[in-house]
Amino acid sequence: MEVIKTVDLTKKFGSFTANKNINISVLEGEIKAIVGENGAGKSTLMNMLYGLLKPTSGEIYLRGRLIHFNSPDDAILNGIGMVHQHFKLVPSLTVYENVLLGVEINKEVSIGNKKFKTFKVDQKQELKLVNDLIEKYKFNINANAYVKDLSIGAKQKVEILKMLYRNVNILIFDEPTAVLTPQEIEMFYETLRELKACGTSIIFITHKLGEVMDIADSVTVIKSGEVIDNLLVKDTNNKHLAQLMVGRDVLMHVEKKYKDYSNASVIYEVNNIKTKNKWGLNCVDDVSFNIRQGEIVGIAGVEGNGQSELVDIISGILKVTDGCIKFNGNDITNFWPDKLRKNKIAFIPEDRYEQGLCKEMTISENMIAGYHDSPDISKYGFISMKKRLQKSIDLINKYDVRVSKIEGLISSLSGGNAQKVIIAREFSSDPDLIIASQPTRGVDIGAIEFIHKSILDLQEKGKSVLLISSELSEIMSLSDRILVMYKGKIIGEVMGKNATREEVGYLMMGITHSEENTNG
Amino acid sequence: MDRKEKLNSLKYSIINSIIPILIAFGIGAIAIILAKENPLSAYGTLFYRSLFNIKGIFNTLHFAGPLILTGLAIAISFKAGLFNMGIEGQLLSAGFVVAVMGNVWGELPKTVLVPLLLVVGVLVGVIVAIIPTMLKAFYNVNEMVVTLLLNYAIIHILQYLTENTFRDPSSGYVSTPRISSNAIPSRIFEDYRLTTFFIVAIVVYVIFYFIMKRSKLGFEITALGQNRNFAEATGMRIQKKIIIIMLASGALAGLAGAGWMMSEKYAYTLSFSGIPGLGWDGMLIALLGSHSPIGILIAAVFYAVVKTGSSNIAIFTSVPYEIVILLQALIVLFLSLKVFVKPKELKLGEPSVPKKRFKNLFKGGKE
Repeated sequence: MEVIKTVDLTKKFGSFTANKNINISVLEGEIKAIVGENGAGKSTLMNMLYGLLKPTSGEIYLRGRLIHFNSPDDAILNGIGMVHQHFKLVPSLTVYENVLLGVEINKEVSIGNKKFKTFKVDQKQELKLVNDLIEKYKFNINANAYVKDLSIGAKQKVEILKMLYRNVNILIFDEPTAVLTPQEIEMFYETLRELKACGTSIIFITHKLGEVMDIADSVTVIKSGEVIDNLLVKDTNNKHLAQLMVGRDVLMHVEKKYKDYSNASVIYEVNNIKTKNKWGLNCVDDVSFNIRQGEIVGIAGVEGNGQSELVDIISGILKVTDGCIKFNGNDITNFWPDKLRKNKIAFIPEDRYEQGLCKEMTISENMIAGYHDSPDISKYGFISMKKRLQKSIDLINKYDVRVSKIEGLISSLSGGNAQKVIIAREFSSDPDLIIASQPTRGVDIGAIEFIHKSILDLQEKGKSVLLISSELSEIMSLSDRILVMYKGKIIGEVMGKNATREEVGYLMMGITHSEENTNG
Repeated sequence: MDRKEKLNSLKYSIINSIIPILIAFGIGAIAIILAKENPLSAYGTLFYRSLFNIKGIFNTLHFAGPLILTGLAIAISFKAGLFNMGIEGQLLSAGFVVAVMGNVWGELPKTVLVPLLLVVGVLVGVIVAIIPTMLKAFYNVNEMVVTLLLNYAIIHILQYLTENTFRDPSSGYVSTPRISSNAIPSRIFEDYRLTTFFIVAIVVYVIFYFIMKRSKLGFEITALGQNRNFAEATGMRIQKKIIIIMLASGALAGLAGAGWMMSEKYAYTLSFSGIPGLGWDGMLIALLGSHSPIGILIAAVFYAVVKTGSSNIAIFTSVPYEIVILLQALIVLFLSLKVFVKPKELKLGEPSVPKKRFKNLFKGGKE
């Protein structure tokens, strides 16, 4: 039976059509994947189903009944729930308190035959209800635990519980695995299977085709706001889906040549650096590593284990309290970012719109930022508008950035194209070392391929790369050497050529070989 | 930004500037009626005498000179995401020192003394701005609070100095001695009050316009104002930029103060900058001109029209001069309301009412 069916669903933002005549149907108890590149219109579609956006035209049927949602309230009342990518939980409350937040059960007192609600929350009753749910769906979390102590995977479960408690039987997930470790992803799959077994229909958005093949029953491919194809997973494969998504052949695995770099000269050296965060904790704790000429070194790790702070130190934004950094034998510890750039180190920052780009400035202004004092565009402290524009046009062509207007704001670009602006800017400065932090976060497959290729091209030219990413497959397919960061320390090093996902995944969880052995 | 977007945003900033003015004049009309005058003829006097005859136009431009500079001083600090609220204090200090030195150095020839005093004014503005600048740049102390409060300290210090140390004993009221006639910039046309200081103000305005629009420094300041993290990450030394911009803002205020002293007031009195004060006027002008260079020029001239016009109202009708204060206060009040806000551009896929999403997340539930 079809639980959700859309008929010619269309959403327009001004003259832009985000969704055009979308026809999809979700069957009772199936896991439906919606895949598509960034900006393809997946989120728009989901937001219409969840009542956050109103369709411009077209109809949504829920179990054969035409519905109009005015808000997510309506959606939840009708049994449609959504788990967002960024969790909306209160860390200082317990699991069950979070689940019942806003719908607390108050203790009742009876006076005569009338019941009155008191101010006191009936915690026993709440705990029991949540525990029942946990048992029913075999969730394996402690309802009494504080949310701040939970792993990310468990937090996601709390989000799901929140929806289940509200009697939701259709769950929408927005890129649910983006924040999970490989082991947690396995557990998440288990959760999905449990939910499915209990009759819940699941829709999830993703760009990761592997996940579709692993867990989904059917898949809908969306491109430029239109449905390209509806397929059963058993009738398709990774490559076919990728082709549908981008409309052309994609190299699923970039061709990487492994070489032995152990005899190459060390160009970048980090020695015992430490720094404290604003709470006075050592968030980067005695980290040392080096990068050799022509080598790609990857730093893997679950986010929040000190990688961001490490990158901030390396980029000259955060100061070290101890230790030193050397580049080509020169001490560059605590250098300012502009000085590091003059030393031919280039940066792709983790946060695209915070550090990499300025949303309120034009594409061509962003194209030169950080290199705006290079003699080819500025003279006597004044920037030549003509040369700036010319440089931007050259880079846009060279790096295949899709822009409608070169003097348009950077915020008019999709994530992938915005990232390409950064790539173009940094790579064109002819650096000896590139620090690339989460270079493909939130960009579409076409752009990922392009960025990976650019990185490997740079390596071909004998340049070195430090790649920091929480995307394990990215680290695995690009790095010559993989370092794993856990709680501010580098806890392991694996050669890229013979690394396995399991090995790196365990390190990411903080389990080193010795422990693994002792624990059996 | 493409042409259409530009036109659109221009349209909104014009609407947003004109509506508060109209409302303010509307309410001002009630006040004029209460003063038993005809508002139409009062406003007619205001605009006719300051805009529709040659003498009035030159008078207006004469008053617009320092206003352009103070408006610019506010706007450039705002452009970098900083708030120099100390324009008034910087302007007063510069005016005071120029008044004293214009008297002491009175023997110097005009060609030397006038530029010298303008430079002195600029330096005084910079020196006064140093305290909040350093606190901001090195200790990240909120510059808005420091500059704002410093104004009152300066006003009272200058009052003490004017009443005691530097008081002109021959004057019947509290005032410093008059500056030498060599310190007064010459008039452009013999019959009108407009002096060469106006030309200086315009030249400075043009220079700043080009620096902000075309230079590396302007580029970095814009980036800093829009996104501090971005500016830092791309290697723009923000500490340095903060110092430069705050001191430049102080310099502009100082220049305005020097010019006002030399071309109009000739001696420091306790009402040197008038009520509400040229520095505060600058704030209104920057707001009214949406912090854009052209907008500031137009707003400064408009405000000069109102200011000169209101003294004409006081002369030719029974409406008091203070009507201008009322109008200014009302304009600021309604400017901050932003009656017609440009609808925020919708991001693709984002909900149109993000706040609602949060509210609704925890509602609903078990029936």
